[in-house]
Amino acid sequence: MKVEIKDLTFTYGEHAVLRGATFSIPTGSFLGIIGPNGSGKTTMLKLISRLLKPEGGCIFLGDRALEDFGHKELARTMAVVAQDTTAAYQFTVEDVVLMGRAPYIGRFQAETAEDYKIVHHALEVTGCFHLRHRAITELSGGERQRVMIARALAQEPKVLLLDEPTSHLDIGYQQEILDLVKKLSTVDGLTVVAVLHDLNLAAYYCQELVLLHQGKIKAWGLPHEVITAENIAEVYGTRVLVTPHPVFGTPQIALLPGTRRREEKQKAPHLHLIAGGGSGGELMRDLTEAGYYLTAGVLNVGDSDWEAARALDIQVVAEVPFSGITEERHRENLALVAKAAAVILAEIPLGHGNLLNLQAALAAADAGKPVYLLEEKQQKRDFTGGLGEQLLAEVKQKGIVVREKARLYQLLKEKFPVAGMEQEKGLSN
Amino acid sequence: MSRKRKLFIYTMLLVVLVITVLVATAIGAVAIPPSETLRVIVARLTNWEQLVQDIPETTVAIIWNLRLPRVLLGALIGASLALAGVGFQGLLRNPLADPFTIGVSSGAATGAALAIFLRQLIGFNFPHMIPIFAFIGAFMALFFVFNLAKIGGQVPVVTLLLAGVVVSSFLSAVISLLMVLAGEDMQGIYFWLSGGLVMRSWPQIWIVAPYLVIGFLVLIAYARDLNVLLMGEETAMNLGVNVEQTKRVLLVTASLITAAAVSVSGMIGFVGLIIPHAVRIVTGPDHRILLPTSALVGASFLVWADVVARTILAPQEIPVGIITAFVGAPFFIYLLRKKKQEIRL
Repeated sequence: MKVEIKDLTFTYGEHAVLRGATFSIPTGSFLGIIGPNGSGKTTMLKLISRLLKPEGGCIFLGDRALEDFGHKELARTMAVVAQDTTAAYQFTVEDVVLMGRAPYIGRFQAETAEDYKIVHHALEVTGCFHLRHRAITELSGGERQRVMIARALAQEPKVLLLDEPTSHLDIGYQQEILDLVKKLSTVDGLTVVAVLHDLNLAAYYCQELVLLHQGKIKAWGLPHEVITAENIAEVYGTRVLVTPHPVFGTPQIALLPGTRRREEKQKAPHLHLIAGGGSGGELMRDLTEAGYYLTAGVLNVGDSDWEAARALDIQVVAEVPFSGITEERHRENLALVAKAAAVILAEIPLGHGNLLNLQAALAAADAGKPVYLLEEKQQKRDFTGGLGEQLLAEVKQKGIVVREKARLYQLLKEKFPVAGMEQEKGLSN
Repeated sequence: MSRKRKLFIYTMLLVVLVITVLVATAIGAVAIPPSETLRVIVARLTNWEQLVQDIPETTVAIIWNLRLPRVLLGALIGASLALAGVGFQGLLRNPLADPFTIGVSSGAATGAALAIFLRQLIGFNFPHMIPIFAFIGAFMALFFVFNLAKIGGQVPVVTLLLAGVVVSSFLSAVISLLMVLAGEDMQGIYFWLSGGLVMRSWPQIWIVAPYLVIGFLVLIAYARDLNVLLMGEETAMNLGVNVEQTKRVLLVTASLITAAAVSVSGMIGFVGLIIPHAVRIVTGPDHRILLPTSALVGASFLVWADVVARTILAPQEIPVGIITAFVGAPFFIYLLRKKKQEIRL
């Protein structure tokens, strides 16, 4: 059954929760509603399930307006799985699922054999049949969630609404529940609308997504159209990295915690990191999170350190892939070194191509700036036949050798405290 | 629950109730064997006069005019209060709700006290005046408690109990005032208030019985809706229950049953609270079984409570409300302690 939402508005007290939302879900499709807390997701679901009355706009199930349905008729057409499934009363699982037949049974009628058949089928589909004589209060969160879905199925609905069906479950159950819901839409032709918290799960399971932002639809479309770094940054106020799922290609989100805006960071102490070959990624993350204004150089485009810098929005002096550092890049690097309060030399492998990076560190030391050398692994890393070793020894003599990162962070904290550093809120999940 | 088990429970409780009625009728200042009691009842019901030829006229009168109506009324009141308790508890999804704790009983009592006051003081009278005043009082109390307790459209346990206490205290002040104003005639109000079945007879039975029967039928008709409501109001709506209508019907029904019971027997507390609880432990939360079972257990319970009330200090009688309070209060405390973790301020 097709579900259409047209120009829906809803106000709670003074506060406009939904401000004109329009979208539709074709029969047998699985649509996910995503958005930050307070964006109107649950309100939207309550409007569709008629728990709330819209202020403006309308909702159609098939070709009939939602308000034209009778109470029981609506329950035979649409089933809802609520977010909170806690149960205080000791009904058996079978009794609970049998309640799904309530819209089919008259006030003075008893359940028929047919009702029991439907209930048992729903229990089997959701893998709850073996639980049928257990009390609902004894079940785990995942089992209870499955029972609630079984009850919804016993209603034999054409539309299924779910409000964060996986929010209290561990990943095994999350997957199990969503696999089941997906199958109900693709195999049984149920039209599914689910409010989902987890963007990766939403992108993976849903055919279409609606992204809500302050009561308005920010985006509606295929997962890769909706889940973009720009949309997420704008709606959730957090920078993320959107990459394709390694196997299926659906968009997946990687969090980049603690990434503040560049202007804001520039007030913090400026540290310049000399890295390369994967030696700097972790340092970049930690120092950015600690609130420093970090720059880096010289890195080759495509190098994993370069990727990390780009993801963390760190200003970088970049050289073309697989080539030695040119004089021009070296000068740019020296310019950043000159502006920095201190220089950190990561444990980089030394080759003829990057000896200029050591020169840059040396220049910093000569200019009287503290130069911290991280030496954690202390393995052979000179591939220049002694030249690198010699330069490194010189830097070591003028700089400060640190054996572990924690110690480095402590030294930096003492010497360059970050004022007013507060933890940035990441994507809660 | 299986059909066989249900049948077993009903049969057993019916047998217990019949035996209770017979034995309770037999017990009293004048000892009359249950066999004679049975003979009198059968003779009167079937107009079979030979059956009681050898029994003295006075004994027949004691059984038929004094003891049996009192015992039957006790059974009816007990069933009514238990049913109302099941109704309120199910409707409010609150195990601590009963006609007494949520103030409906106090409201009915105030209405009835006012009726007695008006009748004795200024001779204002009309048929069924006390029950009608009791109904009005019950509904006004229900209205006040609900609106006091409501926070953002919900009725939490704590505020409901607090509102019940507040309204009940206020109403008992009103009753005290009425008693002071009544002066010499306060005896009538006091006698009625203390919750007893003394001097009650067949007319009172005909007041309570219709409300009990109709109320029971309405509650049973809504038993499935009550079950679904236990899963939460929103879930109930999603399952096709017309929640607002159901709530109105059930509140009115439970209040009517309560008011009818209170209007003839005064304030008998705790029956509506403890009986549904005790029964639920055995039958589970399904209202289709809980309602009839609670009614049967409540009936037997109050009859026995009344037996204790009229024999324990014989020849002095004590109000049956004292006995139910002695049994009920400790149980209530036990429940509060058990439910403590669920109650958050």
